[in-house]
Parts: sequence; structure tokens; C-alpha cells
Amino acid sequence: MADSDEDFVLSSSGDDRPKARGAGGGGGGGGGAAGSSRRSTRKSKRADGAPAPGATKREKWEDIQRSWDNVVEGADGSIAGTVIGLLEATKRKRLLRDTTPIQRGIIRHLVLILDLSSAMLEKDLRPTRFLLTLRYARDFVTEYFEQNPISQLSIIGMHDGLALRISDMGGNPADHLTALQEKAFTVEPKGASSLQNALEMGRAELFHTPTHGTREILLIFGALSSSDPGDIHDTINSLIEDRIQVRIVGLAAQVAVCRELVMKTNDGDDSAYGVILDEGHYRELMMAATTPPVTKTEEKSVPSLLMMGFPSRTVEKHESLCSCHSNLTKGGYICPRCTAKVCFLPTECPCCGLTLILSTHLARSYHHLFPLKNWVEVPWSEAHTSTHCWSCQSPFPTNQSQTSSIKIKIRNPSTTAATATASRSNGATTTSTAPKNDHQQQQQQPPQPPTQRYACTDCKTHFCIDCDIFTHESLHNCPGCQSLSEERVKARANMWPPSIGDGTADAAGEPTSSSMRTQVAEATKMLENSKIAPGSSMEVEN
Amino acid sequence: MDKVDGTEHYNFKAPADLATLQVIILDTNPLAWATFEKSSSLSFPAALSQLLIFANAHLAFSQSNRCAVIANHIDGVHFLSPADPGTDHRDPGEADLTPEDLKEIANQNASKYRVFRLLEDEVRASYRRLIKNTTPEAVMACPNSSYLAGALSAALTYINRICFGGTGGRSSGVPGDEKSKVNSAGGKVDETGRTMHAKILVVSVTPDPANQYIPVMNSIFAAQRLKVPIDVCKLRDSTVFLQQAADATGGVYMEPEHPQGLIQYLMMGFLPDHLARQSLILPTKVDVDFRAACFCHKKVLDIGFVCSVCLSIFCEPPQGAVCSTCQVKLDVTSLENIGKPVVLPPKKKKKKKAIDSLPESGVASAAESPVPTE
Repeated sequence: MADSDEDFVLSSSGDDRPKARGAGGGGGGGGGAAGSSRRSTRKSKRADGAPAPGATKREKWEDIQRSWDNVVEGADGSIAGTVIGLLEATKRKRLLRDTTPIQRGIIRHLVLILDLSSAMLEKDLRPTRFLLTLRYARDFVTEYFEQNPISQLSIIGMHDGLALRISDMGGNPADHLTALQEKAFTVEPKGASSLQNALEMGRAELFHTPTHGTREILLIFGALSSSDPGDIHDTINSLIEDRIQVRIVGLAAQVAVCRELVMKTNDGDDSAYGVILDEGHYRELMMAATTPPVTKTEEKSVPSLLMMGFPSRTVEKHESLCSCHSNLTKGGYICPRCTAKVCFLPTECPCCGLTLILSTHLARSYHHLFPLKNWVEVPWSEAHTSTHCWSCQSPFPTNQSQTSSIKIKIRNPSTTAATATASRSNGATTTSTAPKNDHQQQQQQPPQPPTQRYACTDCKTHFCIDCDIFTHESLHNCPGCQSLSEERVKARANMWPPSIGDGTADAAGEPTSSSMRTQVAEATKMLENSKIAPGSSMEVEN
Repeated sequence: MDKVDGTEHYNFKAPADLATLQVIILDTNPLAWATFEKSSSLSFPAALSQLLIFANAHLAFSQSNRCAVIANHIDGVHFLSPADPGTDHRDPGEADLTPEDLKEIANQNASKYRVFRLLEDEVRASYRRLIKNTTPEAVMACPNSSYLAGALSAALTYINRICFGGTGGRSSGVPGDEKSKVNSAGGKVDETGRTMHAKILVVSVTPDPANQYIPVMNSIFAAQRLKVPIDVCKLRDSTVFLQQAADATGGVYMEPEHPQGLIQYLMMGFLPDHLARQSLILPTKVDVDFRAACFCHKKVLDIGFVCSVCLSIFCEPPQGAVCSTCQVKLDVTSLENIGKPVVLPPKKKKKKKAIDSLPESGVASAAESPVPTE
């Protein structure tokens, strides 16, 4: 340890002493270098607020994010502008998704596997993991059938080392909800969970489903271990063979076998494996599975024609038994093939097995095929054209702030718009860098409160953030585009923002997607035209 | 002791008795009204005043009830009330009046309930402004134009703002969230986070906008999500879209036989609010036609074939088994034998197996069965 003494003598500052001493022992030289570079980054961070580019890789916990650094006082000394900006940013984060029309598996078969092991008694989620999971499962069932009216679902529990069947594969949300109520809520979480048993039971339910539909498993995994009767890798291989995609929501921590399972069943993509941060994130991860999955070209799913019945509704004078539940009902739908009466749609005819649906159920799935385009944030330079949200009439803030900052502003919005579009186009990958840029800018100049206006790229109408979220999540229409005649939309074509074509490049996009979009639009137009025929004929009948 | 404790009594929550927002979507296509007037002797001004009586009746039910009127005009959708902020609020009709006339009008209105007067003035003024900006040429150019989808979308976004504070009717489901909602809204909130109930009344004289099928359906599903009933008063041309809208959202669908008595229909059929409707039998249409028409021949179908990729409907498997909409090659092998007698599978394989297995398996023993075994 002589050289360490030497180091001590040579080192100019007392600060370096412990590091240098460490460096003296064996292969610690790199550690010393890392230590000094670490110190230099800290210095540079103090200087310009960003780590030096040449810094060695640091662990996550070494980066301290101070939430108060993001809050910067405005020119008038208030932080209201920043607060609104942060609120809107979190609201909008959910919306920035890819809107290229992509072929999706509309007809789905999904097995929801719930963990009912003793790990679910943990109280890190309120009231307990178990109760919260069941509550979310209920919401999930409702949401799933709302989004995928012609899909099927089944629920399995992992309880005491066994797989517990909660509900069978079926398309009626009410059945699943009662099954959850009767079978899952009454179960006391107990014992270990067994991935293999549950996955095998899920596979047994899925492997015979028709090839045109998707086969998916959504697994809620609260435990950190799995007690399996055999080799889980065999199960994974057979899942791949049956082209079953597995999504996992982890409640505790990342588990290696889960990651492997998700990666192998999703063509090496592990984005379908998420570990929750809190209750809200849990819900988000779970509800993400309600969106139909993107169809990948290499998948072996075979598109096919399905025979479906469009029953007509009847109202009877006297009650009669329905063939699905044997309940006495006055009204119902008559199967066009075997004239059995069912009381609920969509369903499979219990007598002849024909899929019975309403044309409205098909219409419900169209918005997955034609997503609404993302709206863009309006810079202050364009904000003067509107005073209130077009559709909900709530007033927009006016630019009461100083005229001096307007010049800065004109440059600023373009960059923020650029980062916004960038993060929009490639999803979450750039979102980590975007805030840092904002942070830098905010330090250099007083922050400008956001315009709180969002514009549709087609009709150029300005909307508020709430309408933006509502239209993109629930409505799937642009109120502006639907309310303006084609001439008026054309007249606005040259206004800001520039129109964005369908060709926002995306690797996953099907080459035929844009042509498909127009063709489907034409075909649905035909459908609409023909829709009027039954109505008019009915009028005659009445 | 807990059982004796009476504090629970104060925590009892009665079902929130919330106020109602009524959104009226009114067709203002002048040509459609003119043709309608010829056949029914109900003019637009008469209909408007009857509608305003209806709106006033709604406002009279509760002080916190609100009303919005949206015009579905030939060139797009316009809010009549609340009028666009930032536009000139003065009634263009008043410009020609002398101060004496104005005074007289003010005297006439002096005893009117202020809320009624504000709504009436606003609607009438906005409507006059709307008609002033409409040229006869524009009217003739689009005799049947209707922006039903836009009007419904605007109504729903407005409802989302007023009744849900912009949250879209979805409670985030995070425990403790309800509490924060009550605090932030400051008023009464029910379990889904809404501060008001809402309903939409569509008064329509134009036929279905055929090119808006998907947007209209989207609006209907959004209304379903928000639990907003869409009531339809169809004065002319019964339509499929609006029938389905009323049926799917649990609203009232009526086609008045005597349009002159519009006010009677409005008051009896459409006025009851969401609580009253639970105990009423609503005068709605029961036999809604949901049958679909195929894309290829436009035949109305009972049984059809649906493409699993784009959900197009066909009356028979398309030629060459290629979907005409999305150009996807379809697998029709499972459908080929429909309607034909079931053909027995070829027996060649079986024979081979049988020959192979003759010496040792059970088939052999069956052949030999006549010979009793020892």
C-alpha cells in the first residue's frame, strides 16, 4: 500500500483522498476515474443543468430528480403558468400515440389470469392488492367488451398452487361479472401461485379457438415466485407454438421468467411486461390490454370469412323462455337460422352455434381501424385566432404577458412543437429527453404559460385539453371536421397547422393500410347508403 | 358500542339529486323547414317558440338546471346558447327599432323570470344573426345538408365540460380519488364524478346524413359511455341513425303525428328528467331494425359473412375469396361445404391403417370374433 501513500501526497485536494485510497487496491483504478468524472459531472450540472456528454454510465439512483427544479417563476412572479403547463403535460402524455391506421386483431380471445395467492394480501395497494385487483378486473371486463364487442374472454385464478377456473370463454360481460362476484370475491387468497398451471389452463382454452382471431393471455402477477409442477420453459415453447401472446402486469418487482415469457411470446418485444408504480399506473397497464393488438405480418393468423347472423328484435305479448339463460322474457332476438330466442347480444346461438350480432357492434370496432389524428399544440403566434374552445365554449387564456417575450416565444413554440411531434412519432422513447430540453430553456428565459389550445390538423379548429382528451379517448370524432362543410374545411387548408398526411412513417404500419383506409371508407359509405333501405321499408310496414 | 353510535346516521348518503343539463340540437335548415311547413302547417318560428317554452319548463324545474341550444345549420354547427363569446351579442333585429320600441319591449319583459328571458333573448338573437349570414344561394345549394355527427359531438364535448368537469366520466379508480373530486368541484358529485345529469334532444327535419355513419355511431357510443340519453323528435322522414341513437342510449324516439301540437309532445314525452324516467313507461319505439346490408349487393341480410380483418359484410363468399374492401386473401375452406350434404372423409387412409394393424390390433380380433377364444 505504498503507492496509496504516494497518492495521498500527490493529490492536490483532500476531497480525493478516499477515492484514491480505494484506487490503490488492485483493480480499483477505474473506480477512481469514475469517481472523478462523477465529480466533474456534478460540477457541470451545477453550471448548465445537464450532465456532461462524456460522463461514464451512472446508475439510476445516482440521478436525483428534484421536482421543484421544474417549477420556475413566471415574469410576474407567479408559478401558475408552469403548474398549468405541467398539468396539461401529464394529461396529454396519454394522448401522444401513433395514429397510423394499422391492421389490428379485432376479433380477440383473451384469458385474464388473476393472482389469488397469499402475496395478494399485501397492503401496499389500498385496500389490499387482492381487492384492488378484483375491482380493476371488473372494470377491465366492462371496458374490454366495450372496446371489443365481438371478442371472447375467460378468467382464471392462480390459487394455492392450482389454477382456478373463474369463468369460461364467452362473450357476455354480465356472465364474467357475476362469476367474478361469486367465485373470485369469495376466495381467500392463499398459498403460492403457479404460472405453469395457469398458463397451461389458459392454453387449453385458447388453442382450439379459430385462427382468424387473436389468442392472448393477460396475467396479473403479484407474487415473486412460482411453484410449478414441471418445466416452465416447456410451457413457454408450447405457448409460442400455439401463437399465444402473453402480457404480464407485475405488482411487486420484475421477475426474470416473466420477462422471458413475454419476450418469447411477443417476438422478442418485452413492452407487454410492465411492473406497476402505483394504483393509477396499475390501472393504466391493465386497461392498455383492452386495445386490440397490432397484427404483425409474420403472424400466422389467417384472415377468414365468418358466418354471422343479424337477428331482429321481437316484442311478445306473453313471456317466454329464452334459450340462453332459461329466463322468462317478453322481448328478445330471434336467431335467423334456428329461430331460437336469445335475450342478449352479441352471443353465440345456444342451439345452432351461429354468431349473433348487431350491425352496431361492428360499427363499434371501426375506430380502432381509423384512429383520430393527434392534435397539435398551438403556439402563441397563432393563438390570436381563437378566444374559446370551439366545442365546449370554455374560454382560453389570452396572452396578457409582456410583448417583449413574444419574440422569444415565436422561436420557443417551434422547438416545443418539434419535441412534441418527435415524442408523438416515436412514443415514449423521447419523452425522457424532452423534459430536460424544456428544463434548459426554462432556465435561460422566463417560461411562457401554455396557450392551452390544441388544433386539429384538418379543420384547424382550436380545442381545449379536456376536449382533446375526450374526443381522442371516448368520441373518436373531431367535432370541428364533422361540423364544417367540405368547402369550409378546404378554405382553411392553408391555415396553421399544416395538414399531416396519413403517411407518418411507421415500421409496424402495413403497406396496404392507407389504401385500405380509403377502401374501407368507400365500403362503409355503401353500407350507410344501404342502411337507409331497411328504415324506409320499415316505415311502410308501420 | 359501535352499534349504539349514531354518527353513521349523518354519513348516510342519499342518491345525489343533481341538476340536469338539457342540450337541444335543432335543425335550422331553412329549405327543409319550408317544405315541412307546407305539409304540416308548423312553421319554424312557431316551432322555435314552442321549443323555448319547453326549455323554460326545464329550467323551471330546478334553479340549477341549465339549457344549451345548438343549431344544425346548412354550413355547419353553431351554438345558439351559450352564444359564442367574442361575437357581437346584440340582436341584429334591434338595430331597426327606435328607443321607444325598445322601451316597450323591456316593459313587456319586465315581469318575466330573468332566466327565461336570458335564454330566449340569446337564442333569438343568435338565430337572427345566423340567418342574416345565410344567403339564399347557399340554402339552395345544399337542400338536405345536415351535420348531425358534428352537432352530437359538440353537444357531448359541452356535456363533458359542464357535467364532468372535463374528466370524460371516468373515475380514475384510484382510492381516495372520490374525496378529491368532491373537494375540487365544491358541489354535489355522484359516484361517477358527474356534477350534473344531461340529456340531448334532437329536433330533426332533415334526412340521415348518409356519409356520416361512422361519426354518428361514434357519437352514439360516447353518449352511451357518458350515460346521456339522446331523445329524438323526428318531425319528417323517419331515420335509422336517430332510431338507433335513441335505442342505444335509452332515449325517447317520437315521430309526432300532429306536428302543430309540438309543445304537447315535448312536454309529455321529453321533459321528464332522469329520476322521473325511472318510474315512467317511455313512449319510445320498440322495433328498431338492426339488420345489416351487405357491401356487395346491398341486400338486407339475416345471415351474412363478415371479413375478420375489416368487418365488411358480404351476402356470399366473395369471388376468389378476396375481401373486396381490404384486399386480404380470406380463408373460406371452413365455409365451402355450407349447405351441401356432409361428405364422408376418404377412406384410403383408414384402409391402410386397418391393413397395417390387422395382425395385432383390435380390428383383427373383431374379424376373428366369430371364433370364440378359449
